[in-house]
Amino acid sequence: MLTRDESQKLTDRVLKLSKMPECSVSIEETEQAFIRFANNGVTTSGLTLQRRVVVSTGRDGRTGVSETSEVDDSALEAVVRKAEELAQIAPPNPEHVEPLGPQKYPDYDNFDERTARARGPELVPQVKAVIDAARTKKLVAAGFLYRTASVQASANKAGNFFFERSTDSRLSTTVRTPNGSSSGWAAHPAARLSEINGADLSARAIDKCIRWDGKALRLDPGKYTVVLEPAAVSDIFLFAVPGLGARLSEEGRSFFSKRGGGTLLGEKLFPEIITLRSDPFDRRFPTQIASDDLPARQITWIEKGVLKNLVYNRYWAKKSEREPTGPANNLVLEGGEGGPMDLVKAVDRGLLVTRFWYVRFVNPQTGQATGLTRDGLFLIEDGKLTQPVMNLRFTESPYRMLQNALGVGRNVRSRGGEGAGMITPSLVVKDFTFTSVSDAV
Amino acid sequence: MSISRREILAGSAAAFAAELFAGPQESKQPNAALEKLGDAALKEAKRLKASYCDIRINRYRDQTIQVRLSPERGTGKTLEVPQVSDETSFGFGVRVIFEGAWGFAASPVVTPEEVRRVTGEAITVAKANASLKTRPVMLAAVKAYRDRWTSPFEKNPFEVPISDKLDLLLDVGREIKKQSKVQSSTGFLNFHSEDKYFASSEGSSIQQLIIQTFSSIEANAVDFQRRLSKSRMYVPTPLATGYEFVARMNLKEHAQRIREEVVEHLGAPPVQPGKKDLVLMPSHLFLTMHESVGHPTELDRAMGYEANYAGTSYLTLDKLGKMRVASDLVNIYGDRTTDRALATVAYDDDGVKTTKFPIVSKGIFVGYQTIRDQAHLVGEKESKGCCYADSWSSVPFQRMPNVSMEPGPRDTTLDDLISGVEDGILIEGRGSYSIDQQRYNFQFGGDAFWEIKGGKKRGMISQVAYQSRTPDFWQACDGVAGPSYWQMYGSGRDGKGEPTQINSMSHGCSPARFRQIDVIQTD
Repeated sequence: MLTRDESQKLTDRVLKLSKMPECSVSIEETEQAFIRFANNGVTTSGLTLQRRVVVSTGRDGRTGVSETSEVDDSALEAVVRKAEELAQIAPPNPEHVEPLGPQKYPDYDNFDERTARARGPELVPQVKAVIDAARTKKLVAAGFLYRTASVQASANKAGNFFFERSTDSRLSTTVRTPNGSSSGWAAHPAARLSEINGADLSARAIDKCIRWDGKALRLDPGKYTVVLEPAAVSDIFLFAVPGLGARLSEEGRSFFSKRGGGTLLGEKLFPEIITLRSDPFDRRFPTQIASDDLPARQITWIEKGVLKNLVYNRYWAKKSEREPTGPANNLVLEGGEGGPMDLVKAVDRGLLVTRFWYVRFVNPQTGQATGLTRDGLFLIEDGKLTQPVMNLRFTESPYRMLQNALGVGRNVRSRGGEGAGMITPSLVVKDFTFTSVSDAV
Repeated sequence: MSISRREILAGSAAAFAAELFAGPQESKQPNAALEKLGDAALKEAKRLKASYCDIRINRYRDQTIQVRLSPERGTGKTLEVPQVSDETSFGFGVRVIFEGAWGFAASPVVTPEEVRRVTGEAITVAKANASLKTRPVMLAAVKAYRDRWTSPFEKNPFEVPISDKLDLLLDVGREIKKQSKVQSSTGFLNFHSEDKYFASSEGSSIQQLIIQTFSSIEANAVDFQRRLSKSRMYVPTPLATGYEFVARMNLKEHAQRIREEVVEHLGAPPVQPGKKDLVLMPSHLFLTMHESVGHPTELDRAMGYEANYAGTSYLTLDKLGKMRVASDLVNIYGDRTTDRALATVAYDDDGVKTTKFPIVSKGIFVGYQTIRDQAHLVGEKESKGCCYADSWSSVPFQRMPNVSMEPGPRDTTLDDLISGVEDGILIEGRGSYSIDQQRYNFQFGGDAFWEIKGGKKRGMISQVAYQSRTPDFWQACDGVAGPSYWQMYGSGRDGKGEPTQINSMSHGCSPARFRQIDVIQTD
């Protein structure tokens, strides 16, 4: 992987080639080792190195962007010239903002050497533990284990430079009965591979699979109290993020748009148990010291139910005479105490949801999305899981989900089927809307 | 030695890449320099005793031009915001089979030394995996080919000045904004090329060039008082073709249409939910077909290889050749040979010559999509050529080909379908889409909706989505328009696998009618 010194020399080479007054270059290099398994055996696996060198250059508000994966002299010259050629052709961009001058980035590093070096000897045992556990129970495991090591560097002619390196990993597994009558799932993302335990993870997925097997109850669609495990919250919450944009909100196209114009900034929209913030320095996340080239920082979006901030990019912030916020990433939904089963104990009648799947917007303005439950849906009666339930399709908004939240558990880093994931607790939510039944297992 | 130092010593890779893929379009032989590099991998794999090896040396280029017209904060003045980018990516990936297990490794440094090193890495990976394999990889037989193929185009889009593309999108955006109630417009053009070289230890050496063209335009309208917003899009058929197609997209004419329709949609009454007859236009139906027929007929999905991500399939092996999944009118096929379709190539990423094959025949499920290491699982001796990787750094695996529905009888018109509906909805374009992990329960929205009452198309309605169960839905199909209505649309970023890869494919169909489908009212 590129070192800080090598990255700086590389960005210097690019900037020296540039003939236009504005030029910025960013470099990303990612090495990934992975094992994919299914039917209790490995299917595909590999070791890959990917690199991107992105050059953005221009003058007088005209900008061109070009990208390459090569770093020899002629490739760098070619990518700079291409970007300049595009800049000469492009009309002026009225939303152009000046490049950032030198920034003070946080002195923070969450890189793990062992994760960065991990190959077969570290990865295979975790996968073997999952497969062996499934085989012992006469079940069939599928899953995916990976680790990544990345560096990112960015520099511009205004004198700014940053370098960061990060590691990340995740093991997920789906365990099914051989006849396809049941399925259970568990996953664990971690900035350090050493935190992943294949045996523990497979035990959770196997437990779900075994509990769900048998005659699943068919419930009518309707509104239910639900206990959403962290992965389920993460699956649906991904659809709450775009609406946090200040521009979208001011232009009348977001949940946070006010009727008649303006936004709902400053208004109490959710219960007091809801606090949402970005925290790039939570060690459960991989390193991130820069966000859109701005120094990464902690920022609170919703505090005890009150909308405190919207996302202002540099252009919109300039027009609004506010400080730019950076994007809403490294999201943390504040939690309380207890895991999902602790929250279940307080529910008279409801459903425990392991995760959601194929969640997509229905109405981006209200945040209404649709998707399905998967890999473990259970009826709760008098604080206990009593029966498996046939999977259900929901049509619900993550904002309404937060508005109907009754309780939060302990927060953990979680990533469900899609998206970047977040740190979130389990949630108890009333009146969660399910609209049809699915035969799928 | 670090990657960067290896590359500096390697010399000018950009010029090298251009030289590697150069050559007259009509040449039928791969470039000799590519063959020499490919040979380095094959020889190294043989030396290290792999039983199979293939190498892909690929270069990708994406040029994207986008123009947004939107109001300036504070003044309301329309700003014209351009965005232009041009990206390339060049590298290679090596697959090996060692002791019955696959191994894969890839690198952006394209030199003989690196090719040999990475081949060794792929074998290291395979060795580690061999301990976890359940059965050895079995490959269906394939002939050796030495060939070169290029997707058909008249005008290379990368040779057309960027200024022409910007001018076109500005013109179209301004046309949309002539409707004063439109808040913003966006125009988009993307040109994608794949220079691909494949060589295998079974004697194949194949070079291919694919060029694809994508576009869309969009109008947005907002009602601040009712806290409502709507968008309306026009997405021309994406094709594997050149810039000559852009003129045939008729972007300006469609701009005039969508600027009025978005305003009409904003004021349209909400649908009354219930069971309704649906007439689905090709611009919409293609996606329903993709999700509910294309995906469940991927063999790896049915066999459990996608279980951890997108799921499995309700079309298990015991249903092949037996299960009725649609009405008699429905005939659906997979292919990678249709002229200018997105997934059309001469050879797949296993080196298999591509073909056309039935998937649903008169409503009966008759065929899966397969690749070389799957064919034997359904007792077939040959692969159906569905192998693809989206990058030199991605592992090739089974991806959906073009999947299309045969048109209906010659004399069935769209008006025939509409006139047979008492209470229904005509749906155009794509909207929200969601389907369960076995491809049973789905919900689809659209981009625009018109009420059909007493056999006539009436005004626009809004807030429409429909839900159904795949075999029930397709068995409710009782009308398919004829060949003159058949159109191809496509999906440009279909996701599958872990790590996730994307793929493009085309779907052709005629408008079709479906009876008594559950329609819900959304937000």
